[in-house]
Amino acid sequence: MNPFTRPWEVARREFLYGVRRPAYWILLFLMGMLALGLSDGSVTIASGGGDAGRPFLTSVFGQSRVQCIMLISLGALFLAILSGLTVIRDIDLRVMEVFHSTRLTTREYVWGKFLGGVAVFALIWLLYLCGSIGFNHVLHGGEDHIGPFWLENYLFPTLLFGVPQILLFAGVPFLIGIWTRRPVLVFLFPMVALLLCFTVLTTWSPSWLSPEINRALMLIDPSGFRWLNETFLTVDRGVDFYNTSPLYPDLGFVLSRVAFAAAGLVAVAGAAASYERRLRAGGAEPRVLRLFRRRRAPAAAGPVPQASVRDLKMTTRPLGFWKASAAITRSEVRDLVTRPPMYFFVPLILLQVISEATLGYGYLGSRILLTPGTVAEQQSNTLNVLVCFLLLFYTVESLHKERTRRMHEIFNSAPVGTGAMLLGKTMGNAVMAGLILAAALVSSAGVLLYHQLFNDSPVGYDLFPFIAVWGGVLLPTFILWTAVITVLFSLLRNRFAVYAAGVAILVYAGYEQSQGTPTWLANWQGWNLVRWSDMGAFSLHGTPILLNRLFYLSMVPLLVALAVRWFPRRAFDATETLNRLHPKSLALATLRLLPFAIVPIALGSMLHTGARSGYQRSGVSGWRVDYWQENFAIWDGTEMPSVSHVDLDLEIEPPERSIAVTGAYTFFNHRDYAYDALPLTAGPWHPIEWMLAGESHEPENRSGLFVFTLEEPLAPGDTVTIGFSYELVRLEGMSRRPGGASQFILESGVVLNGFEPTFAPVPGYDPDIGSPYFEEPEPEDDFYEGETEPLIGWAGKPFTVRTRITMPEEYTANGVGQLVSDEVEDGRRTVVWETDHPVRMFNVIAGRYDAFEGDGTAIYHHPGHHYNVEEMSAALDAARKYYAEWFHPFPWSVLKLSEMPAFSGGAQGFPTNITFSEGMGFLTQRDPRAHLGFMVVAHEAAHQWWGNLLGPGRGPGGNVLSEGMSHYSTILLHEQVYGDRYRIEFARRIEAEYVRGRRVDRERAIVRSSGGFYNKGAWAMWMLQQEMGRENILAGLQAFIVKYRENPDHPVVQDMLPVLRDFAPDTAAFDALAEQWFFDVVMPEYEFSDVTKTREGDEWVVRGTVENVGTGRMRVEVGAVAGERWSDEGDDWSWSVVADGYRDARAVVELGAGEAADFVIRADFEPDRVVIDPDVLVMQQNRAAAVFALEG
Amino acid sequence: MLEITDLVKIYPGPVAALQGVSIEVPKGMFGLLGPNGAGKTTLMRIVAGLLEPTSGTVHFNGEDIVADPRLIRRQLGYLPQDFGFYPHLTGESMLRFLLVLKGVQAPGGLKHLAAELLDRVNLSYAAKRKVKGYSGGMRQRLGIAQALAGDPGLLIVDEPTAGLDPEERLRFYRLLAELAEDRTVLLSTHIVEDISVLCPRMAIISNGRFVADTTPSEARGRLAGTIFQGMVERERLAEIDRDFRVTQGILVEGRHRVRIHVPQGGAPPDGFDAAEPTLEDAYLLLAQTNGEGNGSGTSS
Repeated sequence: MNPFTRPWEVARREFLYGVRRPAYWILLFLMGMLALGLSDGSVTIASGGGDAGRPFLTSVFGQSRVQCIMLISLGALFLAILSGLTVIRDIDLRVMEVFHSTRLTTREYVWGKFLGGVAVFALIWLLYLCGSIGFNHVLHGGEDHIGPFWLENYLFPTLLFGVPQILLFAGVPFLIGIWTRRPVLVFLFPMVALLLCFTVLTTWSPSWLSPEINRALMLIDPSGFRWLNETFLTVDRGVDFYNTSPLYPDLGFVLSRVAFAAAGLVAVAGAAASYERRLRAGGAEPRVLRLFRRRRAPAAAGPVPQASVRDLKMTTRPLGFWKASAAITRSEVRDLVTRPPMYFFVPLILLQVISEATLGYGYLGSRILLTPGTVAEQQSNTLNVLVCFLLLFYTVESLHKERTRRMHEIFNSAPVGTGAMLLGKTMGNAVMAGLILAAALVSSAGVLLYHQLFNDSPVGYDLFPFIAVWGGVLLPTFILWTAVITVLFSLLRNRFAVYAAGVAILVYAGYEQSQGTPTWLANWQGWNLVRWSDMGAFSLHGTPILLNRLFYLSMVPLLVALAVRWFPRRAFDATETLNRLHPKSLALATLRLLPFAIVPIALGSMLHTGARSGYQRSGVSGWRVDYWQENFAIWDGTEMPSVSHVDLDLEIEPPERSIAVTGAYTFFNHRDYAYDALPLTAGPWHPIEWMLAGESHEPENRSGLFVFTLEEPLAPGDTVTIGFSYELVRLEGMSRRPGGASQFILESGVVLNGFEPTFAPVPGYDPDIGSPYFEEPEPEDDFYEGETEPLIGWAGKPFTVRTRITMPEEYTANGVGQLVSDEVEDGRRTVVWETDHPVRMFNVIAGRYDAFEGDGTAIYHHPGHHYNVEEMSAALDAARKYYAEWFHPFPWSVLKLSEMPAFSGGAQGFPTNITFSEGMGFLTQRDPRAHLGFMVVAHEAAHQWWGNLLGPGRGPGGNVLSEGMSHYSTILLHEQVYGDRYRIEFARRIEAEYVRGRRVDRERAIVRSSGGFYNKGAWAMWMLQQEMGRENILAGLQAFIVKYRENPDHPVVQDMLPVLRDFAPDTAAFDALAEQWFFDVVMPEYEFSDVTKTREGDEWVVRGTVENVGTGRMRVEVGAVAGERWSDEGDDWSWSVVADGYRDARAVVELGAGEAADFVIRADFEPDRVVIDPDVLVMQQNRAAAVFALEG
Repeated sequence: MLEITDLVKIYPGPVAALQGVSIEVPKGMFGLLGPNGAGKTTLMRIVAGLLEPTSGTVHFNGEDIVADPRLIRRQLGYLPQDFGFYPHLTGESMLRFLLVLKGVQAPGGLKHLAAELLDRVNLSYAAKRKVKGYSGGMRQRLGIAQALAGDPGLLIVDEPTAGLDPEERLRFYRLLAELAEDRTVLLSTHIVEDISVLCPRMAIISNGRFVADTTPSEARGRLAGTIFQGMVERERLAEIDRDFRVTQGILVEGRHRVRIHVPQGGAPPDGFDAAEPTLEDAYLLLAQTNGEGNGSGTSS
């Protein structure tokens, strides 16, 4: 007989069985949907550097990225089901002895089973590839993200990334399945791999990560995505490269892939050996697993007793519901705690919790200062996913346990209600989930304690956030999920089908989540439900969170009722089942279930109605659509007169979220023509009482655009006052989905501003409101000539503001300008803020604050968030002092910074009244290498100049004047206050941030984009400073601000460059540099070669070649260096100290794209390395690699 | 009293496992005899509330247990034909868990009761051993112990003596007989001797139908004078098999000892003498009669 006949037959049977199993149809469906979604662009796969939206999805790079992620996220778990459970199933079916009484050898059996399972997945993968090709090149062929069809673009990624993954994720679970014979453990490997991949291996890449560790992570990442991402996708190679170039893996990576494939095959060989050993040992467990068992000496049979059964006087009283449940729960728990999987999974989950809490990093690689609330929120989603997966496996195994052990007939004939039976099992698993949460709680306490002891964290432990977030959000999810699995099990009656369905549900939930947080009604998993704020976590979404949790909890009895009804305790009769499907029977059954559905229907309706009638209701957004439709054609582009003064009187009631507004805008016609009518945009606030020039007035209401027809036209130089009065609720009711809010009136705080008509009218027509277009049309190249609209704030000249705010006494309310009065009466505080210099926008922020006074500055913060206040205050003082010296005198008397609840993210630099979300600066962990608290304040404070004194224009090149210039100011302030060490550290971090975040193929020049260019803009200005000289560029910037400070024409960077050019000592060099960094996209990348070090007399001579393998032409220094540059001794974190032993000698090279130059550096010391750009003056792609260690 | 009326069970296929069986089972031991696939286990699983019938009713003490299987679980002791236990538990723990689920109570408490029950089935020596280390016979005895637990009004035992050695089999018979004094015990087996020894009443099921509802002595009595036994050469076997209904054929010292049924008034072949009818003769004849011309059945 052919030696392959028997294994072939085993494989063939396995394959034929596999292709009929529902799990694989579900997988095929999921993959088909993803292929379709990717093809039509509705699904994207995120990477570290942006999204998968490379021009060609069909390029080898596009397909590699998709296949990497697809295989690790879907393939790993399904391959575990396919291969890991196959032998366990045969064991359950007790066919093994029959098999092995034939000539089938164990090796033939094991390899046949493995290959059969892998063949099923291979078929699914093949179908997926065919589907992708069809969708991409037939259905969506010709679209801009679909390139020409090259078969190798699909097959090569499968060979390089797919085959090793398939063999690994099929082989190892296969071994685990045979070795342990426990389905739960089979999932251990893919779970570990998934966790590691999605937390550390694929995209975790803080700026301080060393290249060696990065390379090691690339090689141990089974998905291969990290290698692809770090080697190609975040590196600038130009769009043509990604679309047309083949993908060449390096030797190390190829060897890593071969090793993964080999590991899978070795695992199968190991499985064969283990299987044979166990078969010979008569099915005894492996020794390791036996360690979990207690041994007892066997006892011999005693004498034959002859006693009667009647003597025992037994009676029976069936147990009540709760007692029966408790008995089953006890049995389940005893089973769980004596089984090894518990001891694998729980530490794994804890490891995940701890690593996330300790490895997580924020902006610029900063560590976030962990508080109980942030830890509880941060870990919530992770715990959610992990425990849901675990509950899936445990619940299914628990429900199937009796059948597996052939005990189901005895168990099912016991006088215990099915409900009690299911509840008992569910509670057993809930105990496990509870144990995991408890362990995570202890771990979190450990992490916080660790930070207290070793990182000087001043944060204490508080149980409430954990109880609220984990207890209030996670536990209901776990209970619901267990009920869902139980229903699925009762309905499908096949554990493998339940696994597939469960995994599919979780994968789909993940997909939905990736497309945006689901609505309150649909968010069953509770993902991102709570956005924690120490200032009042539930003040924004308390009601919908409560309703959402109650809604899903109330579904549990319904699900339990269904499960009890369908649970296979008594095998259904097919005929009777058909009878039950008769409409009448179905109607009756539905009627019987109706009582269970009443509460969920009621709560769901409340949630649905609440969300639809809340502040994001269609009516609210509907007015925006009407506003745009009715007014765009008539009013877009209408120039407005300036507002010269704003007067607001605000009565705020935080508990009611309400505000009563009375105010007036004084318009001043700064133009040379008269106005017959003035439009104002107001929100849907009813009723609004309007006044015109002191008289009551009824303007034309054009869906929110109120048009005031003037009796006397507003002549040039004339003024007119429009008054208004109304009440509104800011964030009325609930939102449609979880998430933050930019402006609100809540008990935890008040955040309002005049950008949009959220609480105060906005002069003129706002084309952004209700616009169906996401992107503005491309403006003409010279759009900035003449008067340009402001990027933010109101058009026209700056204006003065008086804000009178009345609130409950415990609140501190800040507005723009200086405080002119603060009075308390009858528990109400009234403050009046007046600007002592015109502004371009205004805001109001209030909260229960502590205040920290600086030198003409003040920080208002949540009483618990005092950790970084001193450093932030120093930054605010320094910013006020030095920016005033460098750019323009600070025209206002005070500079305030106030903390706002984390519902509103980021920070905003309103004139004199900066707002910071609590996560920024206030909760940044101190880092001995960087002043990150200082950095965020320095940036936001710079907006007083770059954003307020100088109001950037709307259009390409505008925003960089706000954000890029603020970051550039931050570089200067670092240098001024802390010296070169910290300036260099900051510059390196923002360079790394820029490099990592680039979407190289889509990046546009600064003058072509409305982006903020925080990092690149700062670097471009920094390099311009090197070219012009510090004093020259500062003089130029001062002139620029003076020119536009009170100008109704708002400048863009194209307006700034000519002003600076006038101060440039070498205009040709200035033009060349500006052309590259502002009008083009370049990125130098330097590499050393042939570097030698020799001793010549008293000198050391370093020779070598530097090549610019990137783009752009820059003059750059090459330094021969000895010793560490910076010393910690004497540096008390306040000023850079150069280390005693540090020496360097330098040469300069100028290199264009692809050019190389030799260099010679002579030094009177022995250098140990050469460094390109030691002072960090020129931006470059791969700075970490631009260092060469000199031997000897 | 267990009353089964017009019970039909059709499995997908379709396979008619029960074709309208009706019977009344009084208190005491009741034997259910039938060949493999006759429908015995199907019937028992329906009575135990583990399988829904296609039609028909089952009443126990007047309660409709098809409509509400919970009613029977309260008073049921059940030993399935094929069963297992949680392998990680000891015999004692396993039994105690089942005693708790059944709501069994006893004067000395459940621990004591479990020990006593294990003693009754001669498993005391293995009480602290994990069930997964039990032999087939030990597992069967543990199953018997759990079935006897409580004070079940209805005891259903399906092939209970499979895997038991003769000594244990006798012990079980004794326990069963003791319990059957004041309750209904439904014993399913294809070992005719078990029925003969234990059951005052019995039924024979074949191809999903009851072909007899009788007592062992009545079944035997009906065959009086119709059973003959003789020794024949191999060559004559085919002829005898063609002309008579053979109830037994055993090769003894190179010749065949054959028992045949000769209808009343008929003449036995040469060399055959009248023999005392056995229950096995009755069972085989009844089962054969019904099985002819009907190939339907199911695994039991």
